[in-house]
Amino acid sequence: MNKLFLVTAATVGSLMFGAPAHADGPNDAQIAAIVVTANQVDINAGELAKSKTKNEEVKAFAQRMVTDHTGVNKSAVDLVTKLKVKPEQNDTSRSLAAGGADTIKKLQGLSGKAFDKAYVDNEVTYHQTVLDALDNTLIPNAKNDELKALLVKVRPAFVAHLDHAKHIQGSLGQ
Amino acid sequence: MKLPLSSNAAVKGAIAGSLIAAFFFSYSGFGFTALPSITHTVIIEGMKFVPDTLTVARGDTVIWVNKDFFPHTVTATGGRFDSHEIQTAKSWKYVPKKIGQFGYLCTLHPTMKGILVVK
Repeated sequence: MNKLFLVTAATVGSLMFGAPAHADGPNDAQIAAIVVTANQVDINAGELAKSKTKNEEVKAFAQRMVTDHTGVNKSAVDLVTKLKVKPEQNDTSRSLAAGGADTIKKLQGLSGKAFDKAYVDNEVTYHQTVLDALDNTLIPNAKNDELKALLVKVRPAFVAHLDHAKHIQGSLGQ
Repeated sequence: MKLPLSSNAAVKGAIAGSLIAAFFFSYSGFGFTALPSITHTVIIEGMKFVPDTLTVARGDTVIWVNKDFFPHTVTATGGRFDSHEIQTAKSWKYVPKKIGQFGYLCTLHPTMKGILVVK
């Protein structure tokens, strides 16, 4: 089991078990911080992949991640600004940021096919993690209707990205 | 601010306008003029084309409106039409001239598919 997987698995754990949907769950300000951090982590990985990969399919996917997650973040920031909610860092957002930084560090040490595989494998795990977090923690705990609606609206993008990443994972493995 | 027309005159004007519009509408309805082309709207939201299948008449206008947070395309798989990137909150208009069934997708997110039926 490689280190990248362990880092991602740790992030998965913190997201899945950190905050069940009840009174102890994150508040809207914390959800805002988690959403913005989650998107930023994938934008950073995408930027790195764009500059390192030689594989056109991986490059196009990385560009898509940068564009789509930047769009989601802009909408999220616009909404919380309008709602006058100040994103509040919390254990989950901090863990995501730390996991993202670790992933970047690991990926920087790789090149060629090893890089492509590690990046795409991480994208599969990352999108599954965020989907689980959306379903189990973020959407159920969001109090503000507009924030909840935004989370529901972005969910299909994470599903499509996950499918796309799995598709590339399959073609890289051949 | 003082309005140039009294409210009474404005109401009379509105009624007259409606009657004229109603006359022309019924007149064309009897087939004296060609049927007006209809504008249809497909909403792109949540990684879907809604509706995903749309049937229109040749010469109608179809507008795709992107309500997602990132760009999409409306690209016919057979190459008949291609919007290229439609940015967030922007739209793209197409007037089909050829009868047929045209499958299309978003080239940026190929899981997004739609069908335009032109009769």
